[in-house]
Amino acid sequence: MDKSEILEKLRHILVSVLKHEKFEMRDDLSATDVDGWDSLTHMIIITEIEKMFNCRFKLKELNKLGNMGTLIELIQSKL
Amino acid sequence: MFYKEVSKPLLEAIDKHGSRNAFFINNEYYTYKQFAQRIVTIAKSLENIADTNIALITNDHLDTYASIFAIWFSGKAYVPLNPETPAERNQSIIDQVGIKTILNSDETRYLLSEDFQASLELLETYTLKSNFETQLAYIFYTSGSTGIPKGVMITKKNVASFVEAFWAMRRDINENDRCLQMFELTFDLSVMSYLIPLLKGACVYTIPKGQVKYSYISELMDEKELTIALMVPSILNYLRPYFSEIYCPQMRYSLFCGEALHSDVVEEWSHCVPNARIDNVYGPTEDTIFCTYYTYQRAIMNETHNGILSIGEPMMNNLAVVFNENNEKADNNETGELCLAGAQLTPGYFNNPLLNQEMFFTTNYEGVSTRFYRTGDLCLLRENGNINYIGRKDFQVKIQGFRVELSEVEYYAKKAIKEKTVLAALAIENSAGNYEIAIVFESMEFDITGVKEYMKSKIPSYMVPTQYFFIKPFPLNNNGKIDRKMLKGMILK
Repeated sequence: MDKSEILEKLRHILVSVLKHEKFEMRDDLSATDVDGWDSLTHMIIITEIEKMFNCRFKLKELNKLGNMGTLIELIQSKL
Repeated sequence: MFYKEVSKPLLEAIDKHGSRNAFFINNEYYTYKQFAQRIVTIAKSLENIADTNIALITNDHLDTYASIFAIWFSGKAYVPLNPETPAERNQSIIDQVGIKTILNSDETRYLLSEDFQASLELLETYTLKSNFETQLAYIFYTSGSTGIPKGVMITKKNVASFVEAFWAMRRDINENDRCLQMFELTFDLSVMSYLIPLLKGACVYTIPKGQVKYSYISELMDEKELTIALMVPSILNYLRPYFSEIYCPQMRYSLFCGEALHSDVVEEWSHCVPNARIDNVYGPTEDTIFCTYYTYQRAIMNETHNGILSIGEPMMNNLAVVFNENNEKADNNETGELCLAGAQLTPGYFNNPLLNQEMFFTTNYEGVSTRFYRTGDLCLLRENGNINYIGRKDFQVKIQGFRVELSEVEYYAKKAIKEKTVLAALAIENSAGNYEIAIVFESMEFDITGVKEYMKSKIPSYMVPTQYFFIKPFPLNNNGKIDRKMLKGMILK
């Protein structure tokens, strides 16, 4: 799966969980930049990503997530 | 008493452990020396200020914490204001208290630090010249059912009494401990989380703003090997899917407060912290941080009610009594309202005589005239002396430990819609097992973008509803009131 395909799937998850499209899918996008991305929605987003890509993240991996770029790298490492 | 329990131990910790770390804030360590120097610098800047109640912007900086002690040692009290809370709400607090001075840390305009030796001497002078006994320590604002937040006044004597009662629980904290401070400074569990470690020369680890809390906490526990952590149970619910990856043998004291703690989660958690003593502590802001505790027993049956761990027994110099509808002490196992009295009890709400009359009462209790606070928590006392939590008698709910009056949420939701639509705010459980707020409109579906924006501009983020539903007509009970239980069932379907 190439990066643009992952990005599109991620965008889809974010829109469905956060219920808005007021963000830009950049590598340096972080949770603080996005309205409504808090502890709760973070957990739901992670669960949705695990379902979508059929993978499972470790807590330590999640702790190291800084932004969209690292999230995509993490997903790629699982595929 | 404040001098004996707070000022003196802090000065001793600074003197003895000057080069040890007092704080870990945003990936940086700060020593007790640096901390003391900042306290004195800020205290000096307060010298010519006559006001007693000082607002403090709750940033995540060393100066934010130094300000608290500078304010206290200058004979004043702090009123925390969260910079992320809508300005209008903060303004309402500023107006209510009549605040004229606001402290805000600013890394670009730093006051020059005093010399350390001079700081120590000055701190001693400060703490000795002030008569702390009659002063307030802080005023914390919580959700008010009428749409106006209410200010709980806590005296320095209250804080000192809490500290004294905490040590009476025999938790031997020392300079080698690494302690979690996960709370926003407008939430009074923060006071325990920074104060207790500092009195023993231990290090306080804070959560930088904008971090996903539960994730950052687990990282701190793992990498910094935290030894003491007071948390809200909702953090456990978020971490629960990862319990098998969490192993913190160095954790010594794991405390929970702010929400009902379910015994099955604690049982699982106890394996993550195999050497920790786990306490479920309880108390409203009105009774200074917490006032009862129950120690979780490994491998034997625990005291529970409907799967919720008991809140245990009152701490030293506290009374926790269940009263029945006739305002008499309830029998054992009889459900009633938990009422609190003792050394930690607030003198009352700031400038709010009506509410004070409603929430406090004085009665002859076991031969002594005693002033009690009505918590609104339904509880029962067991023969073994433990108090079990049953539920709320009103519409107050806890969101991540924060108290939220559902009627306050409804008040703002009604203001947000122009039509006179009937609506109800409900607390519903999400997939993690934590509560969030939903608004149900008795209406056909309409665009709620404006409602969301309005709510965000008026109330703190934890109070803003995350889900919206439309149901028409609302189910009513026999009294013609909205049947909230049934309504909840309808939206969860």
